[in-house]
Formats: sequence, C-alpha cells, structure tokens
Amino acid sequence: MMLGIDELKTAAIAAIDQRRGWLIEIAESVLRNPEVGFQEAKTSRLVADAFSQIGIPYRDQIAITGIKAVLSGGRPGPAVAILGEMDALRVPDHRYSDPSTGVAHACGHNCQIGMILGVALGLSVPEVRDALDGQVIFMAVPAEEFIDIEERLRIRENGQIGLLSGKQEFIRLGEFDEVDIAMMVHTSATSEHSKFSLGGTSNGHLVKQVEFIGKSAHSGSAPHQGVNALQAAMVGMNALNTQRETFAESDTVRLHGIITDGGRSVNSVPSSVRYEGRVRGATSESIADAASKMDRCMKAGALALGANVKITTIPGYFPIKNDRWLGELFKESATRLVGRSSVSELGNSVGRGGSTDMGDLSQIMPVIHPYASGFTGLGHGRDYMVRDYDQALIYPAKALAMTVIDLLTAQAEKAKEVLVKSDRLMTKARYLALQESIFSEDLYESL
Amino acid sequence: MSKMTVDEIKASVAAEIDRRSDELIDIAKHILAKPEPGFREQKTSKYVGDQFEKLNIPFESGIGLTGLKGVLEGGSSGPTVGVFGELDSLIVLGHPHADSLTNAAHACGHHAQIGNMLAVAVGLQAPGVLENLSGRVALLAVPAEEYIEIEYRDDLRVEGKLEFLGGKPEFIKSGAMDDVDLAMMTHTENRDWTHDGTIGVGATNNGMVAKRIQFLGVASHAGGSPHLGTNALNAANIALMGIHAQRETFRDHDTIRVHPIITQGGIAVSSVPADVRMETFVRGRTIDAYTSAAKKVDRALRAGAMAVGGRVKITTVSGYAPIQQDPLLTSIYEMNATPLVGDGNVVQMGHRSGSTDMGDVSQVMPAIHPYAAAATGKAHGDDYVVEDYELAVTTAGKAMAHTIVDLLSENGSRANEVISRFTPPMTKSQYLAFMRSLQSEEEYGE
Repeated sequence: MMLGIDELKTAAIAAIDQRRGWLIEIAESVLRNPEVGFQEAKTSRLVADAFSQIGIPYRDQIAITGIKAVLSGGRPGPAVAILGEMDALRVPDHRYSDPSTGVAHACGHNCQIGMILGVALGLSVPEVRDALDGQVIFMAVPAEEFIDIEERLRIRENGQIGLLSGKQEFIRLGEFDEVDIAMMVHTSATSEHSKFSLGGTSNGHLVKQVEFIGKSAHSGSAPHQGVNALQAAMVGMNALNTQRETFAESDTVRLHGIITDGGRSVNSVPSSVRYEGRVRGATSESIADAASKMDRCMKAGALALGANVKITTIPGYFPIKNDRWLGELFKESATRLVGRSSVSELGNSVGRGGSTDMGDLSQIMPVIHPYASGFTGLGHGRDYMVRDYDQALIYPAKALAMTVIDLLTAQAEKAKEVLVKSDRLMTKARYLALQESIFSEDLYESL
Repeated sequence: MSKMTVDEIKASVAAEIDRRSDELIDIAKHILAKPEPGFREQKTSKYVGDQFEKLNIPFESGIGLTGLKGVLEGGSSGPTVGVFGELDSLIVLGHPHADSLTNAAHACGHHAQIGNMLAVAVGLQAPGVLENLSGRVALLAVPAEEYIEIEYRDDLRVEGKLEFLGGKPEFIKSGAMDDVDLAMMTHTENRDWTHDGTIGVGATNNGMVAKRIQFLGVASHAGGSPHLGTNALNAANIALMGIHAQRETFRDHDTIRVHPIITQGGIAVSSVPADVRMETFVRGRTIDAYTSAAKKVDRALRAGAMAVGGRVKITTVSGYAPIQQDPLLTSIYEMNATPLVGDGNVVQMGHRSGSTDMGDVSQVMPAIHPYAAAATGKAHGDDYVVEDYELAVTTAGKAMAHTIVDLLSENGSRANEVISRFTPPMTKSQYLAFMRSLQSEEEYGE
C-alpha cells in the first residue's frame, strides 16, 4: 500500500538515523584526507564506494573527479539534484590540515559529502523511492573553492577542464542538462538560534591574474638599471586601497588579492611579480566596475615604475539567487526538525561577502543553498571545526530528503509548481557565452 | 693718472671698504628688516637704486621686473666682471627676522650679498683704483634666486611678464649679461658646510626643474556619494607613492632630490577633492641625471591620475642648471681671500644638493660662487641668521674686489686668460634653447 507523505518522510529519516555513525565516519574520513579542487582522487573514490554500498549507479571522473549517481523514482518526472562539494582549502595551521600539503577542510565540505549520502540512504528506502515521480541526481562536485588559479589555468590549457570550478564544469559538460532543480546545504558557524538559515545572496566574482614585468639588475650595485616589478605591484595595490570608498555598500564589493610571486632573490631587482586578485560584488555591473578599477590601478603601478603588466581575467562566480518557493519547502522541513525559532531567513538582498559556484547554477535553474550550523570558528580559518554532527550533517540530510519527498511525490506537483513560478535568469548557452566573454588578456606596456 | 701697483690698489680698496664698513653693514641689516620674496622685491630694489645713486653709479632698473645693473667703468677698456647680489628673501614661518604679515624672511642671507656687492663698489671707487683697471665692473642686483612661489611666478610667465622663473636666467635672457664676461658673488653659509673654513670655494650644485601639478577629479558628496566622485587627493597620494617607490633607482652620485609639497589638498572635507595641486623640484647633479629623474616623476604623476580615473596637468618649468665653478677664477679668488682670512681658512667645498641660478650663469661664462661662513643655523631654516657681518659684508667684499683688481689690472690680462681658457658648455642662445626645451605642459588621463 502507498504510504502517506509524512510516513515517507518518517521512513527516510529512520534510514538516515540508522546509518548515522557511518555517515559521520564518511565525513571524518573526508576531513582526514583533504584534497584541493580537481585533485579529490581519494574523496572521489570514497564517494564512489559509498554509492556502490547504497546501491545507486553512478558515473565518475566527471570534470576529472566528479561523481554523478542517479536514483530513479517510480515514475518519470522532474529531476532534482542534491550536491555535495568534495574539495578542501589550503589552511596549513588548521588542526586537520594535511601536514605535507597544508590542505584542510576549513569550509566544512566534508559534511556535505555525508549529507548527500544521507539523502541517498533516506530516499533509497524502496517505499520512498517508488513514491517519487522523477529522478534524484546526487552529485559529488569538485573544486568549489576558487583557488590554485595558475594550476587550473594550466589544466585548462591541457584541455582537461574548460571552466575553473566544479559546478561550472558540470554545467559546461551538460551534466545539468536533465536537472530541473538543485539543492545543497552548506555548513556555518552561526548561533544556536539559527540552526538553519535560508535565503540571502552571495557575491559574484572574477579573478585577475596580474603579472608585473620589470627588469632585473643587481639590487645593491645597479638598482638604477633595473625596473622593480615589486614596487609596481606595491603602488598598484596601494592605489587599489584608495578606491574602496567609491563602492556603494549595497554592492558589497570586495577587492582582495595575494602576491603569488614577490621576487626570487633579495639581491636582484624583482623583474616578475605576480598578484592574484579577486573582485567580488553583488551584481555583474558592480563586479565590472570594480574590475575596471583593479585594472587601472595595476596599470598605474606599472606606469609609475615604467614596467609592463599583464592582466589575465578569469570568470569566477555569479551572485546566487536562492529560489523563494524552493526555500519555503525546505524551510517547512527544517522547521519540523529543529523548531521554528531555530530557522532564520535572510532577505534576498542580504549578501554574504563570499562567493559560490552555486550562484552560477542559480542563473539557469531554481536552486537553494541554505546554511546549517554545527560548526565553530571562522569559515576558511584555522579554527573552523565541527561542533555538532547532528546539526552539521544529519539534520541537513534529513531536511533535504524531506524536501525531495515534498517535491517529487504526488505527481511531482510541487516541483512543477516551483518550475512554473521561478523565472530563469538565463539559458545555459547564454551563461556559457558570458563566462567565455570574460576570459581575456590585457598587456599594458610602459617598460 | 697716477700709476699704482696692484698691491697699492688692493690696499686702498681694503682701506675704503673698512672705512665704510658700518655703513655697508647697515645696508645689509636694513634689507634684512624688510624681506621680500623673489619678483616682489620692490622696496629692496628701490633701496638698492638709492644706494647706487648715492654712490653716483649709473644703473638700469626693472631688469627681470625688480633687478638692477650698475656699472663702474675702468680707466681703459677691457673685460667686464659681474658681481651679483641677490635681492630676494625666502618665506620661513617663525624666522626671527620674518615679516609679520608675509612670513618672508632672509633665511638664506641674501641681504648680506647686497652689502658685499656694494662693498665691492665702494672699494673700487677708492681714489685711483678704477683708472688703473682695464675693463668694467657690473653690479648686478638680481631678483628671485630662491625658486619658490611657483604658482605666482608661473602666472607672471603666463601673463608674459617673465619667461623663466629665476632672476639670473631672466638677466641672461634680457641681454643684461651680454656685456658681462665673467661673474662672481659671495653667499653666506654656516661653518658646517665650509668644513670649518672661513670661506669655502669650488662647490658644485645640483641643477633642477620645477613642476606645477594639478590633479583633476570629479567632486561629489564625500559621505553620500563617494562612488560618483573621482578623488584627486588620492591621485596625488598614489603619485607620491609612485615617486617614492623609485628612489632606489636614483644613483648616489647623481644626488637626486625630489621633494614635493601639496599646495592645495582639497577644498572641503565633505566633498571629494576634485582639484589638488602640488609643486615639486627634481634636482640632480647633472642635466642628464635630473631630466631622467624628471621622467620618472612624470610617469608616477600620470599613474596617480590613471589609478583613480582622473586627469593630471603637469607644467614643467625650466629651473636652474648645475653649477661649475671656474677653476682658474677660483684660484685667483682663493689667492686674494687667503690673506684676508688667514692661511688654511679658505677651504675647498664638495657637492651641494641645493640649486642656484648661478649655475645658469656658469653655463655661459666663467663664474665663481664662494661661501662666507658668517651664519649660524640651517640654511632656509627658522634659525639661519648671519652673525658675522664683518665677514659676510666687509671681508667678502674685499675678497671679490681684490680678485677684480687682479683680473682687470695689467690690461685685464688675467681676466682675458680666464676667459680664453674657459670653454662655455653653452652659448647664450644654446642656453636659452635648452631652457625652453625643458618647459612643457602636459595633460594626461581619462
């Protein structure tokens, strides 16, 4: 006999609870084997094994390390993707950093892997699976953190990737072509009062690879014969700081960067200095404006010293638009799990300064990217640590599974409603064309 | 005409200067009390003119606006020796002799130069002296040696009242130096700079160009809408950083000095500054050194404008050329100064990174610019005062007058020897072309 929707949810929750220990073990195992984006070989293997165990067919090596597992419901219908990110950051002083590489899960992605397997367990309960009108597509995606740009550009040159992040590549490769709706939950260190927070937006961004080219000379005996690329970079970076008050608060512009090569030997005038800059903003216009200011400051640095500068612009992420209707469904499930007072909602204009490639996906389909607490410390910091696996992994898995049940049962009425009510910001083709148009190289010569 | 020996001539020159010493020192002190910056020396100019009249010295005035040129004729024809006295003061807040209204102050001792120039005049007017000399002495009271108030002077330039912003370049251009063959002057200094000597000779000086800079942005409410403005003060800041970032590319022996000031840094703090102005000098030991450094300064200024998306106007004015003191003229001077101050008290000086338009004169004729260590305190500082007027006016005047006697006696043979040994780096027309080539106006930006 057919179970009612509440009974389906109860069954899914029970299945998740039953394997709670295994899910946490998986998250811990990922935590202890941190790997940076597009290099998540061990993590990918672990996820593949887990899907094998659960009994869901999958494909691997998508965008190098990505995995896609498809759970088909009882009847055809819309496809809902549940995403988990595999990659770690480079935070060498994190407690769980890999001592040889300095790589660490300082953004809690390891719990996301636990979450998608939890959802898979919950929805694989035969009664639940058969009650779904549509497909659930589990994706373990590589490379959400937009780092190691030079390395990624290198593998892009080799043709191994086309865009520099995991979800971008999944889109480009057509892996989202049959997906209608996508969801994931990110961890956070927000307070007890906000075990889940929904809505809000994120900054979009782009990346600037800047190379100052000067002329080497003996720093002690002939500095007048050199052109100091490091000084050019300093002038450029200081100039950048003077622009900050020209950004409207509502644009939440962030201009920041690191020097990836600041000179090779102190007794030689640095002739090649590299700066990796990030331009973030709430809208494409504000990103473009801030990016042009970064460009002119870097050129000014070169001009001041009589150096050259090469600026390579790499498309980053779009600002996220969380789907309101999908958010409401998720909120109901979250509320049932943790109580109304522990679920908070951010207005769609409330920005988080960071960026995610879930923003890219949100341009072409309805998505949500809520946050689940359960961590302490600063995201991307040395002290970002799980405090409560129930809150950071188990509840989110349950909430996602419940939301899928809401979406895809009863002839997938709710999923279809979301698809009707939500407007798509752009087509996949438009998205890819926009990203491609941002790739550029600009050489400014003053040497 | 009674024929006198050179020693007899020098003795009567010295006696006459000594006799009128108090009067000459009073003249210097009178000027000290009424300081006027360059191209504004109306009172000082009138006062010097009055002294020329009292001495029955024919003179022209209004050369380079406020300059004067008096001439003493020798008994027979021959070369002309120019003796400079600079009319202008500085502007130094808190100087003990500063004008309470204008803050003008003789913090570089130029007032003493008028005293020692007139000492030369009275000495050579001693009975029997001039008639024994072959040639002439031009007494050149020049305006504006200090290269300051660039905006004011550049406005005079734009109005066509000046072409160059210093007194001696204007004298050269006007033709006032055309009949002068060699030149000298005596500047005051403190004993640190003369290495404890009483008189220092042979110093070299940096040359320089000056820049008047205007950053143009877009004004906007600094609180309400800074994103609609373009901040010209930030442009200036970045430009300054750009200049500083290049300092290690200046070679030590080029003694480059770049020292800007902001003459207008914004109008109201609540408005994004849209018009910010700076002045700077770019100094260096050789013409190549400072013109090359000036290019680095220009690109840093452009970078400031570029970085904020604004504009910059750079007006370059030609400044002063480096000095080269004529060695033969120096040795003649030294021979005359030594008996006055004692053996070992005339010392050779090294390079000085300041600038003087005597450098310009030295490009076109043999010139010397000795220093009399009569002052204490830091030159151009609020504590620079002439203490030893006897040395600054009387002794300095005697040393120059005696040198002139050596130059112009014996049919001016020593002067002619100095002139014939001297290879001018530039002719007057080359000098003027060079100065004009340095002048430029550039506007750069979006």
